[in-house]
Amino acid sequence: MSLVSLPFLIFICVLLILYYRMDSRHQWKILLLAGLFFHAWSNPYLIIFLLISIISTWKLMQNPVKSHFIWVLVINLGILILFKYSVNLGVKDLAAPLGISYYTFMTIGYAHDVYDRKIEPEKDLYHYALFVSFFPQMTQGPIGVYQEMMPQLTARHSFDMDNIKKGAYRILVGIFKKMVIAGRVAFYVDTVYADPGSFAGLTLIVATAFYLIQLYADFSGYMDIVCGISNMLGIDLKENFNRPYLSKNIPEYWTRWHISLNEWYKTHLFMPAVTSGFNRSFAKGLGRVFKKAKKGTLRLILPTVMVWVVTGIWHGARLSYLGWGVYFAIVMLISFCTQSYVKKLNEKIGWNRDNIFVKIFRIIRTLVIVAAGEVIFRSERFSDALAVFRNILTTTRINGSAVAAAMTPFGNGNQAAASMLIITVLITAQAVIEIAKERDEKAFTGHRYIYAAAMMVTIVLFGVSGASNFMYQAF
Amino acid sequence: MKKTVITLAAAFIIICSAVIFKNVYSCEMPVKNRGIRDAINCGDLDVLFLGSSTFRSNIDMPLMDEAYDGRVYDISYGGNELVATVIQYDEIKKRSPHDYGLFVFELGPMMLTQDVSLSDSRVIWDLSWEGKKALWERMKESGNTDFSMMYEYFITSGMDDLVTFPVTEPFYSTRYYKGAKTDETVSPGREVLENEVFDISKEEYVDAQIKAVSDIIKKCREDGQAFVFVESPCYRRLIEDPKYIECKKRYIEILEEQDAPFILADDVDFDCSDPDLFEDMNHMSAKGRRAYTAELIKRLKKTEEE
Repeated sequence: MSLVSLPFLIFICVLLILYYRMDSRHQWKILLLAGLFFHAWSNPYLIIFLLISIISTWKLMQNPVKSHFIWVLVINLGILILFKYSVNLGVKDLAAPLGISYYTFMTIGYAHDVYDRKIEPEKDLYHYALFVSFFPQMTQGPIGVYQEMMPQLTARHSFDMDNIKKGAYRILVGIFKKMVIAGRVAFYVDTVYADPGSFAGLTLIVATAFYLIQLYADFSGYMDIVCGISNMLGIDLKENFNRPYLSKNIPEYWTRWHISLNEWYKTHLFMPAVTSGFNRSFAKGLGRVFKKAKKGTLRLILPTVMVWVVTGIWHGARLSYLGWGVYFAIVMLISFCTQSYVKKLNEKIGWNRDNIFVKIFRIIRTLVIVAAGEVIFRSERFSDALAVFRNILTTTRINGSAVAAAMTPFGNGNQAAASMLIITVLITAQAVIEIAKERDEKAFTGHRYIYAAAMMVTIVLFGVSGASNFMYQAF
Repeated sequence: MKKTVITLAAAFIIICSAVIFKNVYSCEMPVKNRGIRDAINCGDLDVLFLGSSTFRSNIDMPLMDEAYDGRVYDISYGGNELVATVIQYDEIKKRSPHDYGLFVFELGPMMLTQDVSLSDSRVIWDLSWEGKKALWERMKESGNTDFSMMYEYFITSGMDDLVTFPVTEPFYSTRYYKGAKTDETVSPGREVLENEVFDISKEEYVDAQIKAVSDIIKKCREDGQAFVFVESPCYRRLIEDPKYIECKKRYIEILEEQDAPFILADDVDFDCSDPDLFEDMNHMSAKGRRAYTAELIKRLKKTEEE
């Protein structure tokens, strides 16, 4: 059930009526049933794997010993690997249970926290089941943290019109981003990236810039819808995006993009890896080779590579995903290793980081580095990514014919200019809002009703009606 | 609550206004150098072409102007098919007070296998509300419609052009002259044309399209309107394709059954194997366009005399 579909709209309306009409003691039960129904809608048989994950993890973690934690990892990662990499494992292409990546992360995160004694094991199986199957965040996250989610999910919520309005506005923003912005640029990106080697540099630069916009509008649009639905239910989800394209360096970028996943990696993979005995020995070994290097920096090398390789592979068994992971591992390592030198250099040349031009330069530099990574990510084959880089570096010209060629993927020549104009206006408007909000979070909140009306009009008249699947659903 | 209701009402009114304007008044927009309205504004015409992008690319209008003292026009839509052509013909006849010496319809063999659909949002622009409804009904009869298509047809299709009209129209209008392309397109070369992928594998004929050929003939005869079907030359690889030959044979059978006049690509002195004359499989380069138009004029004059 897509989040931008008529069945989902009906589902939400029925849910809200039941949720607020029922005795508030039973609200959490409604949410649990809704989650299971939502999951079963995509494929009723695959719910068995969700139930296996819920029951086994809950039962095993009642007694959080090491062997039980290992069993939780084996069961959950086993199911994940089976479905996600079935083709590569020689099994036929299996339809994966809805949101398997995300609920597996939540389950392992919970089990790890219980095993580390950070939280007490949940005594009620049904409460735990609700945490894992809370439907808004099931397909694409955000990856919920037990101690933050559970009190809200089981609390009693009374009807509040402000929550409904707040949620509806957020949903509208999400649909606008998804159907109007992401939906419109998708056509251009898909056309160019279907055979990138046959396009010239300028067209590839436009397509890559559009891909960054599409990725952000699609993914953050989904998060807006999810947060909006949760707002309507009286539940506040953690924000998953914080205007990432305005980051001034790559480490900052990864604290503002897919925040819940990156925090999960940090808590459950990176930090345990940093403190592991193996990593200490590895860092010691490196220290003998690089005598001037700081101990702290050396300890970050192996965990950083590991986290990024795992992140790349998590997206799927494709060489370009692995390439993307390795690329960001290298970028992060360069960033860590050169940090102190860059700081000294800045002091030497009197580089004022508060200067607006310096800030703009740093934002653009970060965007270019991110864009290069996303070229690898978007390309079907690694050779396609190389073709994109080669053509950008060797065939980029800015003249009349290059601009005309860059307009071709907008579609039929009769509509290209109109389409380009509308896309430019919409993207500029969205960028202005995001930049203003970066300076002042309260910007553009004064005339919400006018914005809401404008978004409704734009969605109906310019939305791409067929664009109902979200990009990150595939992961 | 009051503000919410006002917001919803305001959005609803704006949406309805835009949708009504597009569906009812788009055909009255002052579009230049292309489309039904501009053709009607040209007054009486000796020759009026009505077809797809093939006509748009393959007719050289300055040459036609010279041959017919400027009394010629080319109405074309991307991927235009025969069912839509019938409705466009009706629309012209209904709205135009002028006389047309000869209607030239496209004899595109593959049109017989084309599904009834909205191939170009310009069709939406050019048709009146009645025309739009008629085309939608024909699409519905062919079973090619669903809610999302209806939404696209009546709401979103052509909306980009409408909203950006003041900015984009001056740009678009320079690309055409009396409906024909003015770009100096060049051939991509033999190698590209020999390797270009084209798919004409669709097996079945579409009944609605076959009926539409008969409808065009019937309507022209009822109106006492002179007409001819013209096949535009395509590049050698396409014109020699067995599927193309089979469809062409079927198209000719329909025309011969009803004793309708037609001009085939073979009737014109034009070298379909010369890559310099083509931009792709069925669109000509500027050089090809001029060479073909010069020959077509001779053939059309001969047809008129007959």
